[in-house]
Amino acid sequence: MNTIEINNLTKTYGKARGITNVSFNVEEGEIFGFIGPNGAGKSTTIRTLLSLIYPTSGSAKIFGKDCIEFGPEIKKEIGYLPSEVFYYDNMKVMDLLNYSASFYKKDCKKRIKELAEIMNLDLNKKIDDLSYGNKKKVGIVQGLLHEPKLIMLDEPTSGLDPLMQQKFFDLLKEENKKGATILFSSHVLSEVQKMCERVAIIKEGKIIKIERISDLKENNYKNFELETLSKIDQNYFNINGVTNLLVKDNSVSFLFKGNINLILQKISVIEIANLWIEEPNLEDVFMHYYEKGE
Amino acid sequence: MNVFMIEMKAHRKSLIIWCIAMLLMVGTGMSKYEVFSTSGQSLNEVMSKLPKVVQSIFGIGVFDLSKAGGFYGILFLYLVLMTTIHSAMLGATIISKEERDKTTEFLMVKPISRDKIITAKLIAAFVNILILNIVTSISSMVVVGYYGKGESVTSDIGLLMAGMFILQLIFMVIGTTLAAVSKKPKTAPAVATGILLTAYLLSTTIDINLKLESLKYITPFKYFEAKNLLSSGGFEPVYIILSALIIGVLLSATYLFYRKRDLNV
Repeated sequence: MNTIEINNLTKTYGKARGITNVSFNVEEGEIFGFIGPNGAGKSTTIRTLLSLIYPTSGSAKIFGKDCIEFGPEIKKEIGYLPSEVFYYDNMKVMDLLNYSASFYKKDCKKRIKELAEIMNLDLNKKIDDLSYGNKKKVGIVQGLLHEPKLIMLDEPTSGLDPLMQQKFFDLLKEENKKGATILFSSHVLSEVQKMCERVAIIKEGKIIKIERISDLKENNYKNFELETLSKIDQNYFNINGVTNLLVKDNSVSFLFKGNINLILQKISVIEIANLWIEEPNLEDVFMHYYEKGE
Repeated sequence: MNVFMIEMKAHRKSLIIWCIAMLLMVGTGMSKYEVFSTSGQSLNEVMSKLPKVVQSIFGIGVFDLSKAGGFYGILFLYLVLMTTIHSAMLGATIISKEERDKTTEFLMVKPISRDKIITAKLIAAFVNILILNIVTSISSMVVVGYYGKGESVTSDIGLLMAGMFILQLIFMVIGTTLAAVSKKPKTAPAVATGILLTAYLLSTTIDINLKLESLKYITPFKYFEAKNLLSSGGFEPVYIILSALIIGVLLSATYLFYRKRDLNV
């Protein structure tokens, strides 16, 4: 079953670009990554799902129900962490969390305490006095306190130190094990790589690829790096399948997809000093997608 | 209920300040009456020497300025101006502040419809302007009663305050409508105050230039003027109907536009 179904969702802001014909599904119980650079349309998509803004055309369903018509109803089971957190300043953390909890017909007191303890958050401070990172923690607790079935995260890790990020990821994995579906938007690939099973790549408002993380990496891309004894022609390795070619003095690096023998034959002809062949990280694969369109 | 409570708390401090301001306004305004009334010279005489234009603005000629109740009729204009500014700004702010403070992404992702949020906010604003009206009414009755030395003022003041309350409501919904319609809701309080001042200027212009008399239906400040209320002893039905229409239309506009609009985040 699909927790989120997005069909040809389009949002235009006057002449400015929003998103165009975005379609993808998030299955129940999966952690789905949503990656793209700043301004690609990640937040626009998520905000449309939350009916903060309305689509120009297309539609989206959450839990099988239209996300606008049934907005208030489906939001009972959604937890959302925005990329930038802003709260009512003259409130204490505890007051804000209680206010947040008051919208759900559940007793969230215990869960608030648990989450605050995990995230190391002082509930008695005024929100005004909190650092950016600590405000983010309030956001995390606030998004998870009602134990939602769907968690939407919009660039959730900015402002968190690595230790807190790890705790937060553990927390998310735990929620996922308990059955929560997670939509994780980010421009940091390593965290998506760590967390997600599938990923949608968005660029300039359009989805350019939806793939399993494992497929993305296994797509036969290899990262080549070599040092030659003498200078070689700039275009020596510029053959079909080679991307991200970088030649500088005696060192060469590129990404290769295709018949590996071809490239090895090319290498065997020249004198080399050193050679590395590695699995590319997602970043490289990703850059590759981006450059293709330009 | 939770949204209502939060709004009441958020506006508590400003409401207290406004209430104190109204108390001071009534107190200091009426204390001038004492100065005039004890100086021996008849205030009516002094005022009758003023240019006709100024007289008509203040409603002089209608009010008996030797009486506390009549003097209060002049002060009333300024009480109305203050409370309507409060209402217009409150109405605009209470709707737009989520977007101004960027708390939209907090509130609007909760399982509550936009209509219910608007309702809670409208009720909170209504209670706020009602409290300000009651405080102004009570302080007026007490202070005018004190200077009036036995004049019966309670029913007159009650009538004026009822008129003022309708004006407060009108400007409150002007504020909420602006905040609901505007794509830049941050500017709504400023625009609302601008509209209010324009309406006020128009009403004084009509006073000065009688040829513009027919424009009196456009500006709410002409609906419940002390000089008319006190001389006739009641509201004119046409203005009650106009007020009800304006409030009804703007209330629905507030809901309709806020329901359909993309929120700024």
